[in-house]
Amino acid sequence: MKELSEVLKDWEAVIGLEIHTELTTLDTKMFCNCKLSHDDEPNANVCPVCLGLPGALPVPNKRAIESIVKAGLATNCEIQKRSMFYRKHYFYPDMAKNFQTTQGPVAFCMHGRLDLEVTGRGAAERPDCAFGEAEAASLASASANAEGLSTAMAQQMRTGGESAGALSAMSGYDTANLALPERHEDGSYTVPIRILRIHMEEDAAKMVHVGGEEGRIAAASESLIDYNRCGTPLIELVTEPDLRTPEEARLFMEKLRRIFLTLGISDCSMEHGSMRCDGNVSLRRRGETRLGTKTELKNLNSFKALHDGLAYEICRQAEVLEEGGIIYQETRHWEPGRKRTVVMRVKETADDYRLFPDPDLAPFDLSDEFIEHCRAEIPELPDAKRDRYEADFGIKRADAEQIAGDPETATFFEASAAGLSGKPAQAVANLIVNELAAYLKGVDGGIADCGIAPAQVASLAKLLAEDAISSNQAHEVFGLMAESGEDPEKIVDEHGMRQVSDAGALQPIVDDVLACCADQAQQYRDGNQKVLGFLVGQCMKASRGQGNPKLFNELLRKSLS
Amino acid sequence: MALSPNDVRGIAEYARIALDDGELEQMTAYLNDAVDMLAPVLDYDLPDVEPTFHPIGDLANVMREDAELAARDLPLDVALENAASSRDRFFRVPSILGEGGER
Amino acid sequence: MATSFDSLTAAQIATGIVAGQFTAREVATASLDAIAAREDAVQAFLQVSPELALAAADRIDAARAAGETLPPLAGVPLAIKDNMNLVGTRTTCASRMLENYESVYTATCVQRMLDAGCIPVGKANMDEFAFGSSTESSAFHPTNNPWDTQRIPGGSSGGSAAAVAAGEVPLALGSDTGGSIRQPAALCGVVGCKPTYGAVSRYGVVAFGSSLDQVGPFGRTVEDVALAMNALVGAGHDPYDGTSQDCAVDFCEHLGDSIEGRRVGIIPAFMEAEGLTDEVRDAVQQAARALESAGAELVEVDLPHLDAAIAAYYVIGPAEAFSNLARFDGIRYGYQEPDCPNLDTQSSLSRAHGFGDEAKRRQLLGAYLLSSGVYDKYYYAAQKARTLITADYAAAYEKCDVILMPASPRTAWRHGEISDPTQMYLSDLYTISINIVGNGGISVPLGLGATSHLPVAAQLVGPAFKDRTLLMFAAALERAFTGADGTPALAVAPVFAGKGGELA
Repeated sequence: MKELSEVLKDWEAVIGLEIHTELTTLDTKMFCNCKLSHDDEPNANVCPVCLGLPGALPVPNKRAIESIVKAGLATNCEIQKRSMFYRKHYFYPDMAKNFQTTQGPVAFCMHGRLDLEVTGRGAAERPDCAFGEAEAASLASASANAEGLSTAMAQQMRTGGESAGALSAMSGYDTANLALPERHEDGSYTVPIRILRIHMEEDAAKMVHVGGEEGRIAAASESLIDYNRCGTPLIELVTEPDLRTPEEARLFMEKLRRIFLTLGISDCSMEHGSMRCDGNVSLRRRGETRLGTKTELKNLNSFKALHDGLAYEICRQAEVLEEGGIIYQETRHWEPGRKRTVVMRVKETADDYRLFPDPDLAPFDLSDEFIEHCRAEIPELPDAKRDRYEADFGIKRADAEQIAGDPETATFFEASAAGLSGKPAQAVANLIVNELAAYLKGVDGGIADCGIAPAQVASLAKLLAEDAISSNQAHEVFGLMAESGEDPEKIVDEHGMRQVSDAGALQPIVDDVLACCADQAQQYRDGNQKVLGFLVGQCMKASRGQGNPKLFNELLRKSLS
Repeated sequence: MALSPNDVRGIAEYARIALDDGELEQMTAYLNDAVDMLAPVLDYDLPDVEPTFHPIGDLANVMREDAELAARDLPLDVALENAASSRDRFFRVPSILGEGGER
Repeated sequence: MATSFDSLTAAQIATGIVAGQFTAREVATASLDAIAAREDAVQAFLQVSPELALAAADRIDAARAAGETLPPLAGVPLAIKDNMNLVGTRTTCASRMLENYESVYTATCVQRMLDAGCIPVGKANMDEFAFGSSTESSAFHPTNNPWDTQRIPGGSSGGSAAAVAAGEVPLALGSDTGGSIRQPAALCGVVGCKPTYGAVSRYGVVAFGSSLDQVGPFGRTVEDVALAMNALVGAGHDPYDGTSQDCAVDFCEHLGDSIEGRRVGIIPAFMEAEGLTDEVRDAVQQAARALESAGAELVEVDLPHLDAAIAAYYVIGPAEAFSNLARFDGIRYGYQEPDCPNLDTQSSLSRAHGFGDEAKRRQLLGAYLLSSGVYDKYYYAAQKARTLITADYAAAYEKCDVILMPASPRTAWRHGEISDPTQMYLSDLYTISINIVGNGGISVPLGLGATSHLPVAAQLVGPAFKDRTLLMFAAALERAFTGADGTPALAVAPVFAGKGGELA
């Protein structure tokens, strides 16, 4: 198979994502008062409602509705005041009622967007030829989303006064509002990705397949059902098919995750399945205006899987098409171990889910007060936070982005960098992005209970900024302060680690090293710049790590010139 | 347009109700009679009338607080009490795809 | 002198217990005795619950002995339609599907009756999953009309109506999706009230048509029905039912009020409808004159879109029923076909063998009506018709307080007399539109028909959440049909009156 970069020169990949997020931070399920289970014993948290017992009735969880409204506001969606829950019928035992309660043509949140900044190596995935022309062309029909909705539901939006905008949800790929990406001089680009809708629904039960290969359903002799997860509040975000590269898909997912984490509506764990992503992808020749046949990818349960699964599928489709083959509309499963996608199910006809408004659930007509109350509870979002960190603390944009994306980290950063800017603030950022992140991987729990105080990090950052210690020493001090809880100043003093930045004290070491390493000194004089690193290393060694490497560098250059 | 026995078979398969040939024939006749009886409704697909899905007047935005309620929890033995087949703490179903089946 | 238990109203029983005339245990025992003596002939019950009844009675007696204030229906025996969950009983919906289904929680409506002091004596027969108008579709046995045991009691709450008419209990709960309280009440000669949709919680009542179903009481007097309404509605909105509403009022407060100057609507088209028998028409016209004599003004009202009501009902009802009954797949509960090789076979055979014919017919009709393309033409249009019929009624209530009409076009028919399902559907002509609009309706006995000598009744219907007004008119009608000597239009069916169940 060809490389992705080769494929994307000839083919345009049209990618849409469906992202399910469990509202794990709530206390109870979507329609009943059962505790949300994370790792309780099977069927420990069930009641007549989530077991679908005869006569049970659903009542929506207010905080779940607030959460989805916040999710919509934070992703620039139009909040639909009027919407309803629908019943979506399919017989499968993970749905206790054999229907899922979900939303119809009008979701709580419609027509949002997120802007992606694609930089570095990932930016190269979108070739220069892909800027503008294909998107600018008008596109024929493609039912990218909103499966199972009938024409009457579309009509209902006209007659029922619900958002007429939702009509486009069913008429295919709306290109009228498709914005073009903007390429910057450094090769990076920004691109707005439209969100079709975010709707509220309930999660299904967990099934365990017994007797089959690796717990897979095929050849299983029986299946066991645990209804703990059944009825967990779930929001499904559907993008317009505006994504064009696996890198954009990954960035979108990451960005969305950072926003949802900041909103506090979910723990967003892809590993544990509280945030799940399916990808739809089709190819068309560059310049072609009609959409190709799409496949749907499942099991994209990490950012890497999302990227690699899509990349594989794009290359696979290109190979099939270039050999004159046909792409079938099918669901495919990404196998990360074998690095391939395999067919799960062929969709011959559209599923008929018999959707109709749930008569047990009163319609919604959200008030301005309700929506404004939700808006007021939205904390500063990652993009705004990133821009503020960049402006106020003067730290690098990439670091600001990373720190701002995680609420706990951001809080810790702000406490550590309070009153700092420029070099010491950047030192704080470096320590958090490198040292703290690495340290947290080795311990249980989060930042709040890891035993490291912001004041320690601030103090360590100051030592770094003053060149009192080297970054290698900082790594050592970080470990010691995490262990002892003591102030870095004290650790540095006690261990005699303070970096020597006195030229008078370091010059003799430089002279000794140059004397010992006459060959290397000569090589440098002959124009081999690289050898300087070796000489600095020798000086550091001779100073038992306490010399300021930058100063050594300077003194060596001077001595050799 | 009348429903054929084949149409009815498709509906019955979807609705998970097994019908033998005799039942299929009777059901087809019944459904066609019933659908004929429903004809007056066809005249009501009027453009400027809103449908009433909920006969509850202006009632809207019914929500509950996000709070646990131990009173409704079912202990495991009660939850499984009416299940014809269970194993350990689980409800049990036979092979979903059938013996050695592939979908 | 011994008093027959069945000669007492619910109100008299509760008063008698408070006064110490008899104990709750004596009443419960009398009710169980009456059931034992009459059930062979009536077959109103699917399950009798003596342990629950006697335990509840003993609690009442203990409370009285402790000097506590007794609740308003203390010691009143109650029959409960078998689609209502009550812990300690099976809830079968008269279906093989749920033959062994043990209730694991109690329905709000049942709990409220128990909180009001009622004694649960058993679960009443019904059409399977409430699909029917005769109680003949019960998977277990038919119920016989106490006025003529060769005849059906109506349905689907036929067991509840028959138990009251046979004097086995003074009160019963039923549910009404298209007339399932009002029609059997009419055919059995008792009072049956379908309150406004949302007045009574549906939580714990096995759903048929979620936007149509409503729970209500049967009694032999309007006062008893009003007392039951107080119990069902008094505690207000049920947090477990998102469509239930707060409408607590004292339903007994205006029962004795005069209707002088109030207006009663008559729909001329209804009085000339095809299938309406002469004796029922005559009786309803007599009721109209009686209300006029009591000072009410009769006004003609017109409901132009009523012709769509039956069709709309048989679209909405089956569609909702298909959806509500999808959960019965034999996995979590219900009949499970043994030894199936895979899940699809198990589900399809469990449903094929667990459900009776009418339940299968309605589900398949519903599954068809909701399918892509069909939904638009039928379901969506039916909900628009609902809007127009609702507006028709609202316009009519500009001109009148209540509307008087038949409850059933005819008196009770013989078992097996109507076998064509679509023919059976037409017997709900007068009741269905009230479920579609969600308003209240009440069936009031008018005595025996001139031809059939079987109970005939009138139906009063009113605007949403004006059920108290409805009861006021029902009481006025009841008074008008009570003899000068105090003999009611109808009491316990004479064959059964006094048979078993004496109070010392």
